[in-house]
Amino acid sequence: MATPPWIRRTAGVLLGTALTVGSPVTLAEIGDVLETPARETKLADENLLTDLERAGDRLVAVGERGHIIYSDDQGETWRQAEVPVQVTLTGVDFPNATKGWAVGHGGVILHSPDGGESWEKQLDGWEAVEKLAASLEEKIARMKEQIEEAPEEEKADLEWDMEGVQITLENLKADQALGPWKPFLDVAFQNATTGFAIGAYGFVFRTTDGGETWQDWSSNVPNPDGFHLNGLAELTGGALLMVGEAGTMYRSTDEGESWESVQSPYTGSWFHVIATGNVNEAIAFGLRGNTFRTTDMGRSWTAVTDTSDSTLNNGVVNGDGRITLVGNGGAVLVSTNDGESFRPIFRDDREGVLDAEPISDTEMLLIGEGGVKRTDLKGRNL
Amino acid sequence: MSNPKHDKGEHYLTSPKAEPFLERLIFNNRAVILVAFFILTLFLGYNAVKIQPDASFERMIPLEHPYIVNMLDHREDIENLGNFVRIAVEAKEGDIFSKEYMATLEKITDEVFYLDGVDRSGLKSLWTPNVRWVEVTERGFQGGTVIPDGYDGSRDSLEQLRQNILRSSEVGRLVADNFESTIIYAPLYEKNPETGEPLDYSNLSQALETKIRQKFEDQNPNIDIHIVGFAKKVGDLIEGIASIAWFAGITIVLTTILLFWYSRCIAGTLVPVLSSIIAVFWQLGILRLLGYGMDPYSVLVPFLVFAIGISHGVQVVNAMAIEAAKGFDPLTAARLAFRALYIPGILALISDAFGFLTLLFIEIDVIRDLAVAAGIGVAVIIVTNLVLHPLIMSYIGITKGGVKHVQNHGEKQDRKWRVMSYFSHPGVAPVSLLIALMGLGLGIYYKQDLKVGDLDQGAPELRADSRYNLDNKFIIDNYSTSADILVVMVATPEEECTRYPVLRAMDTLQWELANTPGVQSTASLADVSKTVAKALSEGNWKWYELPRNQTIINATIREAPPGLINTDCSLTPLLVFLEDHKAETLRTVTDRVETFIAENSNDQHTFKLAAGNAGVEAATNEVISKAKNMMLVFVYAVVSVLCFLTFRSIRAVACVVIPLVLTSILAEAIMAVMGIGIKVATLPVIALGVGIGVDYGIYIYSKLERYLLEGKPLQEAYFETLRSTGKAVMFTGVTLGIGVVTWIFSPIKFQADMGLLLFFMFLWNMVGSIWLLPALARFLLRPDRMVAKAREAESKR
Repeated sequence: MATPPWIRRTAGVLLGTALTVGSPVTLAEIGDVLETPARETKLADENLLTDLERAGDRLVAVGERGHIIYSDDQGETWRQAEVPVQVTLTGVDFPNATKGWAVGHGGVILHSPDGGESWEKQLDGWEAVEKLAASLEEKIARMKEQIEEAPEEEKADLEWDMEGVQITLENLKADQALGPWKPFLDVAFQNATTGFAIGAYGFVFRTTDGGETWQDWSSNVPNPDGFHLNGLAELTGGALLMVGEAGTMYRSTDEGESWESVQSPYTGSWFHVIATGNVNEAIAFGLRGNTFRTTDMGRSWTAVTDTSDSTLNNGVVNGDGRITLVGNGGAVLVSTNDGESFRPIFRDDREGVLDAEPISDTEMLLIGEGGVKRTDLKGRNL
Repeated sequence: MSNPKHDKGEHYLTSPKAEPFLERLIFNNRAVILVAFFILTLFLGYNAVKIQPDASFERMIPLEHPYIVNMLDHREDIENLGNFVRIAVEAKEGDIFSKEYMATLEKITDEVFYLDGVDRSGLKSLWTPNVRWVEVTERGFQGGTVIPDGYDGSRDSLEQLRQNILRSSEVGRLVADNFESTIIYAPLYEKNPETGEPLDYSNLSQALETKIRQKFEDQNPNIDIHIVGFAKKVGDLIEGIASIAWFAGITIVLTTILLFWYSRCIAGTLVPVLSSIIAVFWQLGILRLLGYGMDPYSVLVPFLVFAIGISHGVQVVNAMAIEAAKGFDPLTAARLAFRALYIPGILALISDAFGFLTLLFIEIDVIRDLAVAAGIGVAVIIVTNLVLHPLIMSYIGITKGGVKHVQNHGEKQDRKWRVMSYFSHPGVAPVSLLIALMGLGLGIYYKQDLKVGDLDQGAPELRADSRYNLDNKFIIDNYSTSADILVVMVATPEEECTRYPVLRAMDTLQWELANTPGVQSTASLADVSKTVAKALSEGNWKWYELPRNQTIINATIREAPPGLINTDCSLTPLLVFLEDHKAETLRTVTDRVETFIAENSNDQHTFKLAAGNAGVEAATNEVISKAKNMMLVFVYAVVSVLCFLTFRSIRAVACVVIPLVLTSILAEAIMAVMGIGIKVATLPVIALGVGIGVDYGIYIYSKLERYLLEGKPLQEAYFETLRSTGKAVMFTGVTLGIGVVTWIFSPIKFQADMGLLLFFMFLWNMVGSIWLLPALARFLLRPDRMVAKAREAESKR
C-alpha cells in the first residue's frame, strides 16, 4: 500500500527540520581553558616551562597548556601530573614535600596534596573577580560614608577617588563577561597554611588556611596604579619582599599582614627577587639584566654591574655563596660570592631560561622556552 | 581451416571468399587512399607542430577531491602564502661575517629586487630595511635594522652585525644556524599587479639561474647559491620537458638501426619508421584540434605511439617478407600480410586503447588527458600502421636483401626456434609453471611493501640528486624549516577570524597535531598572538598565553604576517609542518584533523582540509588508492572480454592473461623494492603495461591456434608460431622497451620511474608470452577438441 503523499510530505518536513536542527550540534565542544583538563602528552618537558621547585627530593615544574611534570630521579625522566585546567601556569611552590600550590593565567590557583601528582582547583578568575568586586563594593561603601562625614572642601577629592574605584569595579565586571584572563604570576608559601598568590594588575590573594579560602589582599598593598606584581620572596629572618612592574617594590615585616612601599633603586620592571640565604639579604633583577643587591631588607641597594643586557627571569641559591641567575637569550649568570659579582654565559640555543635548580655538585637543570635542559653548573649543555 | 593451396604456395587470392571486404576496399583504391593520407598528414602535421606546452598546476591535481575543492574555493585568500623563492647564499670558507660576503649579499639582494615577478615590498634579506632587531627597554621597544648604522665592513661593524642578528630572532630563518649562510626571501606575485599577466615561471627560473646563480658565483668564488621555491621547481620541470626532444631523437635513431638489423631491408626499415612518425603527427594534430596541450605526462605519449606503431609495423614487414620469400609480388605480399594481421592487429590495438581508457577512472586531469592522448594515438596507429604501411609497401615491396635475409636467416634460426618450442614440452612446461608460481609468490611477498604516494625527501617530481633537491636539502639542514606543509583552512563569518574562540580552537587542534606522529611543528595566528602578548609584556615568558581579552588579541595580531588573515578576515590558515610526505604520515595527520573537524566545526569556525603541497598530495594519494583497484579490475576485464570475443574460449583467455598478471605483480614488487610509490605517474603505467602487453599474447595465441587447428601437435604448432611471429614479437618487446628506456635518463623523476616500469613491463610481457603462454597452453588447451569444434562449425556453415 502506498503511503499517502501528504504523510510523506509532512514526514519529510519533520525530518528535514530535525536534520537542520541536529547537524550543527558538535560531538565534543572545545572546552573552556579553565574547565578542561590538560591533555596527556609526552611533549610537556620539551615545551615552555615557567617555574621549577623542589617538593622534598622531587622536582616539580609547571608550564604552558596546564602542564605540570615531576621527576623523582633528578630530572632524568618526567611524569605528567593530572591538572584540571589548560591555562599557562606561571608559578609553583611547595612549603613541604607533599603540599604544593601552582598559579597561572585565568586567575587560577591549583593545589596538590600529594607532592605534585594530582592537582585540584582552589580558585579561578571567575571567583577571584567576584572577590575583588566584593571588596571594591565594600570599599565604595566605606568611601561613601567617609564622604558624608568629611568636611565640604575635602569632598570633591574623595569623590574623585571613589569614582576611580567605581571605574575599576566596572572594568572588572566587563572583564567578567569575557571570561577571566588576568594571570597570577607568582606563588609563595611561608608555611603549609599561609601563602600569597600575586600577579597582573595588582592581584594579591592570601590564604592562612592552606587554600581553603583565598582572600583578596590587594587593599593591604599600596599599589594604586595596579602595577603587575612579578615576584615574592621570603628572606632569611622572616621579612617578605615583593617586586613588580615599573620599579614597584614592597616589604612586609609582619608575615604579610601589612605591606609598605620600598624606595626602588630602579624604575624599570623587576621580574623577580630571591633571598640569598644570609639574614635580610636579597637580590632583585629584571628588565635588561638590571640587578641590585640588598643586605638590609631593601632599605639600601647596590647595583650589580657585571651582568648582561638580557632580561633576567629567576634565580637559585646553590649554597657556598653560589648564586645562579637565568634569563632571556640563553643568559646564565653565576656568582660565587653571594651575588656581589656575576659571570655571564649565553647558551648556544639562545632560548629563554626561566628557572634553574642544582641537582648535584656538578649538574644543574634549566627550564624555559624549550622545556628541561640538563647542564653543568655554568649552564652549558652536558 | 587448413588451406592446402596456401601450403603449396599457390595463389591464395583466387578464392574470393577469403578476401575480406576491408582488404578489397583498401587495396582496390590504393592511389585515392594514399592521396587522402598525404593531405590529412599535411593538415594534422601543421597542427601538431603548433601544439603548446601546458604545465598547468591545476591539471595535475584531483580537482574533484573535497580537499582540492576547498583549496580552490579559498585560493585567493591563501594565494600569497606559499609562493616565494628562497635564495640561500653560502660562504664556502669562513662564515657570513666578512666584508666580501656581505658586499656580495648586498648586490644579490639588489638584483633580486629587480627580477620580474618579485613582490618587492615583501623582499627580505639582511640588507633589506624590514629585517630588524627589537629589544624591550624601560621606555618601550627599541630597535633598528640588522645592518648597523654606518656599516663599513670593519671588524667592529661586523661584530655589531653579529649582535644585531642574535637579537633579531632571525637565526634559523634568514640566517643559518651555523652562521655560514643567509637567505634572501622573495615573495612572488601570482599575477603582475600592473599588467595582470600571470607569472612566467620559466622566465623567472631562468633569470634566477643566469642573473643570480651564475653571475654571482662567478663574481665571488667563495660563495655557493642555493635556490628553492615552487617557481624554481616549475621552471626546472619545464626545462625537463624540453630535454624530451633529445630522447625522442635517440629513440628514433636506435629504433631505426634495430629495425634495419632486423629486416636488412631499407624499405622495411624506413616505411614503418615513417608510418609511426606520421602516427605521432596525427595524434598530436588531433590533440591540438581537440584543444589539448602538452604537459609533463602526456609528452610521453608520442613515444608510446611511436613504439606501438613500430611494433605493429614489424609484424607487417615480417609477414610481407615471409610472403615475399614464398615468391609473391609486392602487392600480393602486402595483401596477404594485411589479411593475416588486420584482425589480431585491430584487436590488439583496441585492447590497448581500452587499457588506456581505464585511466579515465582517475580523477586527475593530466591522467585523463594521458588516457585520451594515448587512446587517440592507438586509434591512429590502426590507420597508419595497419593500412598506410602495407599500402606503401605494396608499391615498394621488400628489397631482395630483406627477402634473402628472411630465407637464409629463417632457416638458420630454425634451430633456435626448435629449442624454444620446448617451452610447450610436457616435461618443461610444469617446470615453467612452477617457476612462474614461485615468481608470483615472491612478487606477492615483496609487493606488500608497496606504498602509495611519493617516498623521497624534497620535490618528488625531480630527482633526489637534482640541483633543486640538493638545494632544498641544504636549506632543510641549515634552517629551521620543513618543505612539507599541510594547510588547514579555518573559515569564519566576516571580520571574525581573529576572535578568541577561533584562536582557541586552532590552538587546540595545533596541540593535537603536535602530539601526532609525523608532525614537526605547527603555526597559526594563535602563535602570533601568544608571542606578541609575551613581547608586549616586556618579553616576559609568563605572559605566553592566548589572551582572552579581544582588545588585547587585536593588539597582538596587528602586525601579523601577510597571508595569515585574508582581506575580509573570514579565513585564516593553520600551517602544519610535517617530517616528510609519505602517504602514511599524511594519512595519520589528515585523519586526526578530520576527527577534529567532525567534532569541532560550528557556526563560529569551520575547519577545512586542505592546502599546501602536503594537502594536495594527501588528496592525490586518496584518489589514487581508490582508483587503483578499480582500474586494475577494469583493465583486466576489458582485456579478458576482448580476448574472449576473439578466441571464444575461456582457456585462450587464461593463456593470454595469466602471463600479464604475473608481470603486473612483479612490476609492483619491483616498485616496492626500488622505493617507487604508486602515484600519478606510476599508476597509468600499470594500465599501459597491461594494455600493450596483451598484444604479444594475442599475436602468439592467434598463430598458435591456427597451427593447432591445422592439426599440428602443440610443440610443432608452437614451433611454427615462433618461426612465423616469434621473431616479430621478440623484436617488438625490445623496440617498445627502447622506446621508453631513454626516459630513465629524464631529469624529471616521475618520467624516469615511468620509463623504468614500462621498460620492465614491455620486456617481461614479451618474455611471458613466449615462455609462459606455451606452458599454460600445454595444460589448458585441448587441441583435439579445438579441432573437432572447428570442424563442427565448418560443417554447419
